[in-house]
Amino acid sequence: MGHDAHAEPEKKPGKLGLLGKAYLPAIAQGLLHTLGHIVKWDHNTLNYPDEKRAPFPGYRGEHRLTRDEQGREKCVACFMCSTVCPAHCIEIVAEEAPWPDREKRPKIFNIDMMRCIYCGMCEWACPCEAIELTEVFNIPVRTRAEKIYDKERLLSN
Amino acid sequence: MSDSGAGMVSWVLNGDPVESPAGMTILEAAKAHGAELPHFCYHPGLSIAGNCRICLVETNRSPKPAISCSERISDGLEVQTHSEKAVEAREGVMEFQLINHPLDCPVCDKAGECTLQDYSFDHGPDESRFVEKKNIRHTKDLGPTIKIWGNRCIVCTRCIRFCDEISGTGELCVVARGDRSVVDVFPGIPIDNPLAGNVVDICPVGALISKDFMFQSRVWNNEHTETVCGGCARGCNVTVETNEGFVKRLMPRENTDVNDWWMCDFGRYGWRYAHDDRRVSVPRRGAEAVETELEAHRDLGELVRGAWGGSKKVAIVVDPFLTCEEAHLVGRVAAGTGATVGGWLPPSGDELTFPGKFKISGEKCPNRRGVEAVLGQEVFGSQAKAVESMLNSGGVDLVIVFAGFPNADCPDALASAVGKATARVAFTLFDGAWSEAADLVLPSASVFEKEGTYVNEDGRLQRVRSKDRPGDAQLAQPGLHSASISSPWVTSELVALQRALVHVGDAERSLSAAGVFRQLADSNEHFKGQSHRGIPATGVPLGGLAPAGVGEGSES
Repeated sequence: MGHDAHAEPEKKPGKLGLLGKAYLPAIAQGLLHTLGHIVKWDHNTLNYPDEKRAPFPGYRGEHRLTRDEQGREKCVACFMCSTVCPAHCIEIVAEEAPWPDREKRPKIFNIDMMRCIYCGMCEWACPCEAIELTEVFNIPVRTRAEKIYDKERLLSN
Repeated sequence: MSDSGAGMVSWVLNGDPVESPAGMTILEAAKAHGAELPHFCYHPGLSIAGNCRICLVETNRSPKPAISCSERISDGLEVQTHSEKAVEAREGVMEFQLINHPLDCPVCDKAGECTLQDYSFDHGPDESRFVEKKNIRHTKDLGPTIKIWGNRCIVCTRCIRFCDEISGTGELCVVARGDRSVVDVFPGIPIDNPLAGNVVDICPVGALISKDFMFQSRVWNNEHTETVCGGCARGCNVTVETNEGFVKRLMPRENTDVNDWWMCDFGRYGWRYAHDDRRVSVPRRGAEAVETELEAHRDLGELVRGAWGGSKKVAIVVDPFLTCEEAHLVGRVAAGTGATVGGWLPPSGDELTFPGKFKISGEKCPNRRGVEAVLGQEVFGSQAKAVESMLNSGGVDLVIVFAGFPNADCPDALASAVGKATARVAFTLFDGAWSEAADLVLPSASVFEKEGTYVNEDGRLQRVRSKDRPGDAQLAQPGLHSASISSPWVTSELVALQRALVHVGDAERSLSAAGVFRQLADSNEHFKGQSHRGIPATGVPLGGLAPAGVGEGSES
């Protein structure tokens, strides 16, 4: 253990009397402190999952594909999200859109949630505001395959 | 070069005195001296139009900036490519080009390889000052393979000049005037000439889009393999673009000795057989699949070992889709077993020559010259007939046939002759008469999966490279990729033949294609002094080979 020049000199504990050596006052002090909290009832623990904490603004949870005012997915399959994704967890296969005002849409849009690192760069890269991260964070599943979200699953998030 | 020699011009590029051959344009001469100038309408293979104005430079000849693609160099010319005036002029042109451009890069298939994108980044203004309404121009089909997004068109007329000068068909024209002008076809005459796909490549923006590649992949995700097209004996230099082992498109590669900048649509769209579900992808004995490839290759080795030393009657039927290296290995098997080697050729097609000197060979196979150079000039001629009569007369103990032709048809006479041999091995792409008759069927590698060299009809030795990368074998597993096309993982004839030779004891170990080529170069006078590493990207002419049309065989 090396001592560097800026370290504070070690504090030497004061001399303890007989009472101090018995630690009884300190124990009583601690119990009183705990009792005070019980009486005040201002604890921070939540009874999760019965109670849920409101996520902080900007929390990055599971993805969602958004819809336009006609209920169609906004995504135009430009591959910007899959290009920027550092975890390579987005798989897109494009197809021709059946609508007259749009050219391209995703035929397949899969996100591997097990690979995703929830960095939010897909949301940042999207030119159409079609993908965004929601505040959903607690979706346990039984198999890995269920964690590969397809287009329908992402649209319903 | 102290004084300018005959035909040389002394001029000044950005303050440096330089010399270039007379008659060059400023753009070409500047490029030769390392100063790239932006250009949309200029293409080295087409006539000069000078309509896009993005290549403006400042010269001492005129107070106005000059278009470098059309202005020729001359003695005493001083060119400034990055002076304030030139940069400002190009920025102005760029702003005008982008006025009516829809900026739909996210859905445009050209994004990533679009010169408008690149030049906007390099030369364009930061933002548009255009607040008026943008023009809307037509989006429609121009032909069976090509679609136009008129909004993206900058009317550089490259595609129109291509159809006029190279394909000579002249389907395209500019309609309407001013900022409404756009490329279109004449009513009722779609663009469907055999070179039509090239207009998509030369389109500097995303106006002309190939329907085959539309929405298939973003270009920056594609892996590029520089290889040679296997469609005909022309051997056009191409780049195969793949994504996770799947071919997405073929693009021509510049080679002024073979295909200039172009390729034909037969080659361009003729890759789908490589991902056909019906392809033979696993070796099998008769109808029963062999568990591992190694086992099948050992079977082949056992058959060859049984015939080694000339104790049995062996016939080998080669095809002109084998690489020179594979033909060399066939030659080694033939030498060891005393086999007679003959070849078969796919039916020849029409030879097409276009006004722009581009040629589609009538010989629909890539390596007839190479196989002839390795196995003898008569391999597809008198030797082929000898093999056929030998097979027909019966008593052949072992026959090995190669059927790497993408279209499954083979000569019926030869197929029935092959069926008469006692033991029959077939390397094949698809099931056909030959593989039905064979008792050991091995998958053939397509031209996209082969490593080696081809010799084109002019006797030019060119490298063929496999699109597959180590690790791609995993993609061959069913259900791993959501794409509807399949990608079989095929071990080429190069490996199968070498494993057989190792089994016989004729070779110590399997070599790479380059290693086999080294053996070939040591033993064959045509290939003397060549090596894989020594072959330039555009190929090298082989010595002592008869050029197209001089040798035997009549293509017309």
